[in-house]
Amino acid sequence: MSNRIDVALTINGRLHNLNVRPDLTLAETLRDELNLTGTKIGCDDSNCGVCTVLLDGMAVKSCAMLVGQADGREITTIEGLETGDGLHPLQQAFIDYFAVQCGFCTPGMILTAKAILDENPKATEEDIREGLHGNLCRCTGYVQIVEAIESVRDGKYGEARA
Amino acid sequence: MNTLIGKGEKRIDAYDKVTGKGMFASDFFSRAAKMPQMRLLTSPHAHAKILRLDVSRAENMPGVIKIITSKEPGVDWDQFPKPAYLAQDRVIWAGQVIALVLAETREIAEEAIGAIEIEYEVYPHVLNYDEAMEPNPKAVVDPEYETRAAGFSDRPGDRASDRKSPNVVGAFKLNTGDVDRALKESDIVIEHNYFTGKKTANPLETATAVCEYSPDGTLTMTSNGAGVHGVIKQTLCRVLGLKQSKLRCIQPYQGGSFGSRLNPFIEVLTALMASRAKCGVACSYTRKESFTTGPSNWPCYTTVKLGAKKDGTIIANDFTLGEEIGACINNSFFSGRLSSSGVAPCYRFPNTRMDTFAVATNTVPAAEYRGLGCPETEFGIECVINELADGLGISPVEIRLKNILDPGDLNIYGEPIRSTGLKKCLQSVADAIGVDEKPVQDMGVWKKGRGCAVGGKQNTPLGRAEAKVWFNCDGTIELFTSVDEMGMGATTTMAQICANEMGVRMEDVKLTNSDTAITPYDNYSASSRATYTAGNAVIIACDDLKRKLKEEVAREFGMHPSKVEIQGTTAILKGAALESVSIPSLFKGWTPFSQNNWGLKIGSPVEGVGIFCPAPVQMWDKDGRSPRIWNWFQYSAAAIEVAVNEETGQVQVLRVASSSDTGNPINPDIIRGQTIGGVHMAIGFALNEEHLYDENGMISNANLSDYRLPTILDMPLKENVHDFINPDSLPDGPYGAKGMAESVTVPVAPAIQEAIYQAVGVRINGYPMTAERVLAAIKEKKQKEAAR
Repeated sequence: MSNRIDVALTINGRLHNLNVRPDLTLAETLRDELNLTGTKIGCDDSNCGVCTVLLDGMAVKSCAMLVGQADGREITTIEGLETGDGLHPLQQAFIDYFAVQCGFCTPGMILTAKAILDENPKATEEDIREGLHGNLCRCTGYVQIVEAIESVRDGKYGEARA
Repeated sequence: MNTLIGKGEKRIDAYDKVTGKGMFASDFFSRAAKMPQMRLLTSPHAHAKILRLDVSRAENMPGVIKIITSKEPGVDWDQFPKPAYLAQDRVIWAGQVIALVLAETREIAEEAIGAIEIEYEVYPHVLNYDEAMEPNPKAVVDPEYETRAAGFSDRPGDRASDRKSPNVVGAFKLNTGDVDRALKESDIVIEHNYFTGKKTANPLETATAVCEYSPDGTLTMTSNGAGVHGVIKQTLCRVLGLKQSKLRCIQPYQGGSFGSRLNPFIEVLTALMASRAKCGVACSYTRKESFTTGPSNWPCYTTVKLGAKKDGTIIANDFTLGEEIGACINNSFFSGRLSSSGVAPCYRFPNTRMDTFAVATNTVPAAEYRGLGCPETEFGIECVINELADGLGISPVEIRLKNILDPGDLNIYGEPIRSTGLKKCLQSVADAIGVDEKPVQDMGVWKKGRGCAVGGKQNTPLGRAEAKVWFNCDGTIELFTSVDEMGMGATTTMAQICANEMGVRMEDVKLTNSDTAITPYDNYSASSRATYTAGNAVIIACDDLKRKLKEEVAREFGMHPSKVEIQGTTAILKGAALESVSIPSLFKGWTPFSQNNWGLKIGSPVEGVGIFCPAPVQMWDKDGRSPRIWNWFQYSAAAIEVAVNEETGQVQVLRVASSSDTGNPINPDIIRGQTIGGVHMAIGFALNEEHLYDENGMISNANLSDYRLPTILDMPLKENVHDFINPDSLPDGPYGAKGMAESVTVPVAPAIQEAIYQAVGVRINGYPMTAERVLAAIKEKKQKEAAR
């Protein structure tokens, strides 16, 4: 199997040792190999943002990254946000503020929002807009998305869990 | 009882979507990675003869299962949806499918496509309205133009020989009053030509279908197309000759649609392959294929000539419209009638003449997209009305209030308006933005301007919707519908109506949606009809269920059903010793001594069914008039402040107010999302989106870098986004509700056009109003001023 590579990915806290084709993107690996289909694919050229995951805490577009580039890294996908204690505050806020319509952009949007607030817990509306401008949403017009993120920033859901 | 209507109940699909657990068709596609994969060979030329097509080398590659071309026996391609029409001897647009390749893996399928041998003789092509409309055009799009039976017409008496070009493939005309006389009597007449861009809806999930094949030939189609019953199943059965019993269509969550999924192209191609190859088939379009293989919207080219009296009363409307429909050959859908319906909803227009038609080009076939051509049609009308206001020195609000139809008025078809809150919509947005006041110019080269416009959209009566509702033995409610949950919240609205009717909490209603083996018939969720049509069906189903529950309870106590009332899971017994009883307590378990042939039985729900369909349309007369040509009208108004950079032509929307007449709203928070989302989408229509072509006639910006969809940065800051609901109850709507999500998009572009004019003094008579076009107009204006 010389045309495959070994990679070690820590996904949502769990180590996965994989032997995969090197031409797979991280997005394809998550979806097709690991059945983590919460990460979506929408455009193939990293313009829509629905494939966003957190790589060592940074928001990255997983369709624009080969699986080998993620070797040894820690990845958070949307499946990793809900814990035994319940939904992540951003997930709950997206429900409460009607920031979800078709839902296809939602996982990437929530993960990008998490990266924005993790980096800057006092992010202003301008900061949030700057952070989200690579995540397309065709349905909402973004206002309710910003309201949801600001409500978490303002502590409406208590301290956000890391 | 009315406790949940008008409340912002949480979406029932939100948990699934925020956790990534909700399944979309593309997630089933990922899970089907081991299934045979289908890929497409598409044309690189807009118009060419296929001299040679040889698939033998590709067919013999290891792992290739089957290749289908137009030579596949026993296929009636003319019946296929236009984007799924495989090229015969000619390709008629760049992106048209030539061959379908099924292989064990996607990679093998791609490789096999490369091994197909094909030679073309390139023909001249027509890519736009003007080229196609030449009397002797460079290309006639329909290869069978000479031999095909007379083209489609929505107007009795229209003749193909009257048409301006062989690419005109449909016509509709309307005449009411005396336009020529009214034009003569007008104090002011303004006339302009308007264009609109050809665009792709771009829902973020591309078209995807997974078709399983059972040994007895049954196909199970899981896809993101719209209308599992009315569109997908019925099209596949008709086109492919499948038995109704041997096709099951399932729709998981749809990653957006905006109308673009009403064309079941991917389902037809996938099912054709599955039934011929006798195996499962999975297929998903790339983003590029979404643009080039289709479908697109249809741009409209209008000539709008309005005449008004000094006081602003508009008395004449002479209106010409061409729908550019791409390579839709054998047209049986487009005639201009759909787009030109945008002339009707808002204004009285007592003397109107409409000459409308459909024009084929060598571009991707057109299909439905939010508003059905009405945003494109109404753009010109709204722009001319703003100019009339300017010319007469009256406010753009006042001129509209003078001419907007009131409930009970007859529109241009002679059809009464049953519900309109448009005047209030306009007033609310005009006040929010201060349309009649001039903005302070404090942004240097960025000049500010304000504008407003209104819009309306007809609801086409599209047949029936059914609903089924169960009362389970434990008191839980199950609702079965087949609405399209493309994101607009229809499933939540249905559950909300059901919970309200049954007097239970939202969380006590479980909805199962869109699976033809389980859920009842619904044509499809189009023309903003789901709330109205399916919502009425849910109410009727709940009434039926309550009637049956009353009978069951009454029988139990030896009473007449009229003496029983159902309140949630409790039955109120009037005049009985026992005043009320828990309905679940009446369901009985089975024992050998009570066989439970009758009565309430544990495990067997009581079922109510509901069917609703609107009254039919009445055929229009020779003048295109009818007392009922549409059903009802939804309305919206927008007021917008923009800043225009006079050095670069860039336009930034600074403030926006949008208001909708939704009828009585069922869920205002869902409507808010539709309103703001509609504005955002329409900002894209207005400023950015259009197909561009290379020398082969291929779309050159068929990706999301070069075709710029609006982002969050194209929206104003949230304190500058205002949304309102100004309802006028619809008499036969559920709780007086009607649909709303299409009309929101209509007034945005014309309001921006006027705001640009107020800012820098140039009128862009078409959209998208790109920086390039705005800058060119500013330069032209400066040159003219310098020459003076």
